[in-house]
Amino acid sequence: MPAIEVSSLTYTYPGARAPALQGITFQVEPGQLIGVVGANGAGKSSLCLALAGLIPALFHGQMQGTVKVCGLDTRLHTPGQLAGKIGLVLQNPASQLSGMRYTVYEETAFGLENLGVPRSEMPARIERVLQQVGLAALGERSPYTLSGGQQQRLALASVLVLEPAVLILDEPTTMLDPQGSQAVFKIIREAVEAGTTVILAEHHLEWIARYADRVIALAGGEVILDGLPEEVFSSPLLLEAGIGWLRCTVAAQQASPLGLWPASMPLPVTIDAAAAGFSKAARKLRDVDPDQ
Amino acid sequence: MSLKEQLKQDFSTLTLALIAVAIVLNIVLGQTVSLLKLPIFLDSIGTVLVALLAGPWAGALTGLLTNLIWGLISDPVAAAFAPVALVIGLVAGLCAKYGLFKQWWQAILSGVIITLALSIIAIPIRVYMFGGVTGSGADFITAYLLATGKDLFSAVIITVITDNLIDKVATALLAWAIVKGLPRRFTARFQRSSSVIG
Amino acid sequence: MSTHFSLYQPGSSYLHRLHPLTKLTFSLAAAVVVFGGPGGWLAALFPGLLAMLLLWRAGLAWRAALTIFRLLALLTVVLFLVHGFLNPHNKSILLSLGPFGLGQEGLAYAALVALRLAATLAASLLLTVSTQPAHLVQALAEAGLPYGLAYLLGSPLLLLPQIAGRVRSIQAAQQARGLKTEGSLLQRARALFPLAAPLIFSTLVDVEERSLALEVRGFSAPNPKTSLNELVDSPAQRTARWIMILLAGLLLAVELSWRVYASH
Repeated sequence: MPAIEVSSLTYTYPGARAPALQGITFQVEPGQLIGVVGANGAGKSSLCLALAGLIPALFHGQMQGTVKVCGLDTRLHTPGQLAGKIGLVLQNPASQLSGMRYTVYEETAFGLENLGVPRSEMPARIERVLQQVGLAALGERSPYTLSGGQQQRLALASVLVLEPAVLILDEPTTMLDPQGSQAVFKIIREAVEAGTTVILAEHHLEWIARYADRVIALAGGEVILDGLPEEVFSSPLLLEAGIGWLRCTVAAQQASPLGLWPASMPLPVTIDAAAAGFSKAARKLRDVDPDQ
Repeated sequence: MSLKEQLKQDFSTLTLALIAVAIVLNIVLGQTVSLLKLPIFLDSIGTVLVALLAGPWAGALTGLLTNLIWGLISDPVAAAFAPVALVIGLVAGLCAKYGLFKQWWQAILSGVIITLALSIIAIPIRVYMFGGVTGSGADFITAYLLATGKDLFSAVIITVITDNLIDKVATALLAWAIVKGLPRRFTARFQRSSSVIG
Repeated sequence: MSTHFSLYQPGSSYLHRLHPLTKLTFSLAAAVVVFGGPGGWLAALFPGLLAMLLLWRAGLAWRAALTIFRLLALLTVVLFLVHGFLNPHNKSILLSLGPFGLGQEGLAYAALVALRLAATLAASLLLTVSTQPAHLVQALAEAGLPYGLAYLLGSPLLLLPQIAGRVRSIQAAQQARGLKTEGSLLQRARALFPLAAPLIFSTLVDVEERSLALEVRGFSAPNPKTSLNELVDSPAQRTARWIMILLAGLLLAVELSWRVYASH
């Protein structure tokens, strides 16, 4: 069974003139990491909210089509019912704190308490997840004394402790410094390796190009591209949609007519692929490469 | 719709988050504005905002809890005036419900109505629990009125009304302006806000 | 957590270990007796002394006394001045200062009000100094308080320092732009909007994201909630709570019927 099935999803916010999402259709198999890219206003956040079942339940408005996560239709289940199965992490680290708990440890327990998990099970799960996000040493600190990056890792911990099958992240690193971002990305990768299906809406195209199994590009609420990172990130549609290309891709494209990029190789979307391509072209120019 | 359904709708998670934030706004702004030493407090701005966005019950709850919480953590004297804060939220919400918060001059009128309503509750508390004084600047007014021969009750009536009138009118105006200025996408999630924005 | 914003003092006295509802019942019962019990100043004195005694046994009396002083000192002074000189019932003049006379009735009245306030405050401090706010909220939730209400009681306490910090940075930013917060009335009035408006707008916009984060953590899940922290109660405490409620009710009834009887 696919982890996520979206079928002809169209959604308009109440009072808005144009739909925020139009005719979106795609499926995701369990355990995959899907990157969602798009310019601001393209619909990334709305898509994340719809996948988490918060649209339309909390935002009302008009929705057509279906969204099924782990076989559950989001229109037939309240956010409270979906909470343990779908996790959502948002941009602003501080707003995601419950505001009801004095320590990192208790904050992590918040979701477990809400879902009625027996008290005896809580310590083991909390300690494991705090280790996972690297906050084990800060268990007794107040969440409000943490840095932005630490708070975002706490938000991740609070959601991961519920062991959701699907984890959705809406630009989780936008408000973080590079170090904080790298820490978050590492946790995401480990969650995918553990079998969680992850949807990551991001502006950090390099990371998505390197680690995502698949990329979906949005523009004007519609899906304009859906495929492997190599295909999506070298498509001209990305430039038209205002998303832009990675620098290594642009460099290779400009180098190609000058003979500085091998004609047989597709445009690179990662630094490693770019390095391989450029060194191959350099070897050819020095007539060292026997394959040419 | 029935009362139970109305209450459930009025108290969604979003409303609860709004009330929690409004309670904090009441406390923080009250402290901040007191530093400016103006004849206003602005310690009910959150209450009135909630009343405009989420209705009289939510507004009343905001006021009540603000004073109870402030009483719990810092100044138990404030807890005694919790009923007054409740009335502020309730009356503001009712004014909005009956169309008295659409224009700026209506907001001013609502501020006056709120002042009169809260006085009905505040005066007995002030007289019977605190002997008519509060340890604030308004006591000068009370003292002056007593010196001119008025009885305690009348002195307190006049003090409470004059003390609160400017503040509640300013609060009502500010709350009206803010609700009008909030992004449409935000206010659309609050059914009751249509009585202010239309 | 900023201690500036909280009366709670962590500790391990017997008071700390009592169930929050027991302490809450005491505070409320004491308030009822102080203001509604028979005997005027006696009704205020006994609960107040009892509260201080209990606090003393827990080693918290000194801190409570300081807090009572801090909160009531100014009010008490004003009470004595206003009622001493200006109370309309003043007849027996003890001291004359020009046209004003210090009246015995007024002083007695001021003393009674001050005593009542101090006694009620002592009883409420017994609760607030020894109870972590989150535990009080949990106790209420376990007793049947709707969860949403429990959230509203608990959450502002933690949001407070965060938003207070935001005020400081807004103030600093505005002052860097030339905002004056001192000076004439008009100048100070002008400072109001640039301070209040950014704070209100930014915190309100946050609200939506906050509520989404709560939903995602199961805040409105239909099942009953469990809790990490265990609150210890006992049959003895439960009995004590009922006794306090009945006693307070009895004393109130006595006073009310006495007043009704006396007015005939």
